[in-house]
Amino acid sequence: MAYSLSLPLCFNSLPKSDLGVVVADAELVAQLQQGSEAAFRSLVEKYQQRVYSTAFSLLRSAEEAEDVAQEVFVEVYQTVAKFRSETTLSTWLYRLATSRALQHRRRATAKKRFAYFTSLLGLQNQVLHEPPDHAHPLALLEGEQQLHLLLSYIGRLPSQQQIAFTLRHEQELSYDEIAAVLDTTVSAVESLLFRARHTLRQHLHASFRHA
Amino acid sequence: MPNPISQPGSDQEWEALLQQLRKQPRAQPRPFFYARVQARLTAQLPPRGWWLPDWARRPAYVALLGMLILAVSGDGAALRPAMATNQPASSSPH
Repeated sequence: MAYSLSLPLCFNSLPKSDLGVVVADAELVAQLQQGSEAAFRSLVEKYQQRVYSTAFSLLRSAEEAEDVAQEVFVEVYQTVAKFRSETTLSTWLYRLATSRALQHRRRATAKKRFAYFTSLLGLQNQVLHEPPDHAHPLALLEGEQQLHLLLSYIGRLPSQQQIAFTLRHEQELSYDEIAAVLDTTVSAVESLLFRARHTLRQHLHASFRHA
Repeated sequence: MPNPISQPGSDQEWEALLQQLRKQPRAQPRPFFYARVQARLTAQLPPRGWWLPDWARRPAYVALLGMLILAVSGDGAALRPAMATNQPASSSPH
């Protein structure tokens, strides 16, 4: 079945290789919209690593990242009919992954607060455990303390700054791509990254001065 | 030899730290990720007869609903004329 492939104006400035990816993704989406299981499988296999690692960067938990990644692809399958090619497929997936990851974190924080509250009231006779530290294995090696510290400070940044910083420095997305994911302007992304870097450098500097 | 990123104060040291962050091996999902997504999708599919509310799938409720429909539908109208003929006789002011 023929389908029209409309590319947004902002893709006109993309390099040929990126344009090829966008066209291939548009084809994949069109096939998925027609109910192709094979297209869904291709989409999952193509993007699972990016979606999972984005969720992992924001949550630092393999279990939660897996949960978020699964949720993202289930949502893609269920809502692909509504997908319009105003954004690229990868932008849509990054958007879903980051928003789902933040949702998970908010839920986990609320649960932790509730557990703390009930423990204060003595409603349950359980010992309140601190969540396990899912530091990156590399960060645990000798000489990796700074990376470990940096990762912990990234986790404490405000949500938008954290997403911008993670997408830039871990997923290596361009400013334009980050702006598309956050649905904002490039100058807003620059500002978010500037503030994130400033905060992180200040914290790291203070930590090492105290040490 | 001094560690170039021992004190993340200067731009060079900061860039080295960011480089280190970028060089981290990317987190990967466990094998058979697609199979787990498929299983989740299947689990979320609505069961057969999903368009019926839960109570409508219980025989007792269905029987009750049937009786209610019969009572309201006018099948009980046969009883009404008898009552109607009795009433004026008993209530006449004679």
